[in-house]
Amino acid sequence: MQAIKDPESGCHAKMGHNTTGHDRSVSLSRRQYLTGASLAAVTASVAVTGCLGGARDENTIVMTGDTDFEEAMRGDDGPSVQDALWDAGLDDDITVDVQASVDDTDQRMQSYQSTLQAGRSPPDIFMMDSGWTLPFILREQTTSMTEALPDDVVDTVEEEYLDASLETARHPDTGDLHAIPLFPDFGTMQYRRDLVEDAGYDTSGWDTEPPSWEEFAQAAADARDEAGVDFGYTTQAASYEGLSCCTFNEVMTTWGGAYYGGVDTLFEAGDREITVDSEPVLDAIRMMRAFIHGDDDPHALDGYPEIAPSTIVQWTEEEARGPFAAGESVMHRNWPYSIGISGVEEEFGEDLGVMPMPYAVSEDEAEFEGTGGSAHALGGWHLVLNPNTERPEMALEVIEAFTQEVVMARIFETLSFIPPKVELLDEFDPDETGPVARYSEQIQQAAEDAIPRPVTDVWPEQSSVMAQEIHAAYRGVKSPEEAMGDLHSRLEQSEADVRGQDGD
Amino acid sequence: MATDTDPEGGGIFGGEGETDRDRTGNAVVNWMENLSEAAYAYLLLLPATALLALIAFYPLVMTFIMSLQEDRTRGLEPLGGFVGIENYVNILTGNARLARQFMDVTMSTSFPFIEFGVPILQQALFVTLGFAVISVFFETIIGFGQAYVLDQDFRGRRWVRVAIILPWAVPIVIQGMVFFLLFQPEVGFGSDFMQWLGVFGADPLADSQDSFIIVLVADIWKSAAFMALLILAGLQSVDRSLYDVARVAGASPLQRFKMITLPLVLPALLVAMLFRTMDAMRVYGLIESTAGCTTVPSLTCLVVEAMFGGTRIYATAAAVAFMTALVIGLIISVYVFFFRDTEGGLS
Repeated sequence: MQAIKDPESGCHAKMGHNTTGHDRSVSLSRRQYLTGASLAAVTASVAVTGCLGGARDENTIVMTGDTDFEEAMRGDDGPSVQDALWDAGLDDDITVDVQASVDDTDQRMQSYQSTLQAGRSPPDIFMMDSGWTLPFILREQTTSMTEALPDDVVDTVEEEYLDASLETARHPDTGDLHAIPLFPDFGTMQYRRDLVEDAGYDTSGWDTEPPSWEEFAQAAADARDEAGVDFGYTTQAASYEGLSCCTFNEVMTTWGGAYYGGVDTLFEAGDREITVDSEPVLDAIRMMRAFIHGDDDPHALDGYPEIAPSTIVQWTEEEARGPFAAGESVMHRNWPYSIGISGVEEEFGEDLGVMPMPYAVSEDEAEFEGTGGSAHALGGWHLVLNPNTERPEMALEVIEAFTQEVVMARIFETLSFIPPKVELLDEFDPDETGPVARYSEQIQQAAEDAIPRPVTDVWPEQSSVMAQEIHAAYRGVKSPEEAMGDLHSRLEQSEADVRGQDGD
Repeated sequence: MATDTDPEGGGIFGGEGETDRDRTGNAVVNWMENLSEAAYAYLLLLPATALLALIAFYPLVMTFIMSLQEDRTRGLEPLGGFVGIENYVNILTGNARLARQFMDVTMSTSFPFIEFGVPILQQALFVTLGFAVISVFFETIIGFGQAYVLDQDFRGRRWVRVAIILPWAVPIVIQGMVFFLLFQPEVGFGSDFMQWLGVFGADPLADSQDSFIIVLVADIWKSAAFMALLILAGLQSVDRSLYDVARVAGASPLQRFKMITLPLVLPALLVAMLFRTMDAMRVYGLIESTAGCTTVPSLTCLVVEAMFGGTRIYATAAAVAFMTALVIGLIISVYVFFFRDTEGGLS
């Protein structure tokens, strides 16, 4: 103890000495201290304000996007999207500057949320995921494109764009478009045609007429065993948006199931039937349990072999694509970007097959309206005008230019983003634009069978609850009945929250 | 200390007031220079206090006010009418509009008289408390051990020091990715190894319990080094001659530790533990980069999810944030309360 006390008392003595004796030295040091401190503060604040600010060119329109889009806009490797915009009639003085942000869709949503809440601009145009544009529309943070754009442009969009995409860009009350689709995206079933053929299956008809889930699983298992690869099928089943919006939504719809009793109630929360615990939905889960756990699982559906590794419950897109790209999986569910990577000659080339989603229940037999048959989850991105922009006219001109075919073609060539007028795919030459164009038939069929997620203002919170319960059921922590029963009551509570809000 | 001399000093200054004014020609400076040491100290603290009030207390009060209002998920207005403590009731009863709950406990009539609505490791409060207690406990033990070794004289001590501090130098997200990949069955050996030991299930990053252990180990691995550093600083300030005296008096190594090392290091140790507890209560980055917030929900995870989840539930987010601040505040006051008499001067 002594050791510590000693230095302290030394300190006392020193301070006492200073305060009593030399008042002049104290006053000097005080004054110097204050002068020094305030000087430092002033210098720092000048430096900081100097760094901020900075005006932008008055003919520049800023839009958000990712780094790939930024490069395509500038045309780093070849013809630029900017040139295509000018070709499409955009004023030559107007340049578009892409402010690249993170690739992750959730993080982009978060940053837009704060930008809009703060009423900031630039950016003048947002690129928004079709999966979360509607909450922004319902929060009145968007502008009606139906009113702002020229009538002929709106008419073309309404007539020629993919309907399912437009539905996710509309204000549910007025029916006005508040966003213009930039490109749609669809879940696709990709497979190794060579391996499946080697196992004795005839795949010639699969381009247009998919096998049933049962046949699909049998083919996956046989081809896996024949070729000696690790897995029959890889997909995404981590507890994240991709499970609830897309991979499970697809499987469920192909069984004739629905979250909310069909496709008519997708976009209006509050007063709709919750059907997550109905038999078709449970069957979809039972099939996935068979795929993951095989016969040992008492809740697995009979007649479906084990084809997927149990690890899919911690996989998102890239983790699931890895084994397929490495040649260790026969079938693989992913977005078309994966076709662009695996379909080139150096990889699988023509051996890569793409089929419409297998199904178990046809549209006629499906329990709920609009379900059954093949189903492909709808993704994709929209253009949304920032209502706080200081340059609305110029920004609208840019959005208008994006509706021209020449721009869609350029975007497909440089980024493989599917045009919102899906028929345009027929006009592209696979040799020039990459492997995705080779599967234009399958992608157009996917567009017809596209199933949007039920986006509403409460979709994000419902989605994470859904993902959680479906995930628990996939993993076998809960039985399908128990998980979907729990989900039912949680969704009921969420729907009631919205109802209460409308009552005000 | 200084107060003993102040009245006297003030008297002296008072007497020489006129000459001072002549010298500086500025009344404010004179007034300032005539302040007592304590008063001058408070004067200097004033700007910082004002700043703190502006950036810490004002947001806290605003958060509290927000948390008493209703969530509005549509329309321009982000908040609805006043609902009192309804949001807090929802949070505490497991009915919040969140995928993972703050806490979800109900009373029951049979032993142990409480029931968990969902498994305990899926409730943010218990995850965070458990994480903080267990991680700080192990970090303190391991950190103390490391510091004790580093305090000795031996060949190659410099290299051992570097080796021990290395984990602390790794950025959290990089470290998170390391553990994430370690437990990706296709990539790392972690899953197979732990399964072989019989500790983990097949997909540890999808399982709350396995993931909790992963996050815990990752944090201990990293932060024990921080503890070691702070404790080492305490150890090195111990006067070596005390040990000589103890040795001459015939004290055993255990007695030397109990009666010399521990009491002298305790203040530094407590400060280190306080820091670590605060850090552990705020854990987020490590979770987000390994198992994800749905698998291991911490309090901060909940705030982030409520605020940025996509559905506009700002009032709920505010309530969760305020509760989090409250919980952390309570834990910290445990330290301040129980250790107010120790030499560290925590109070």
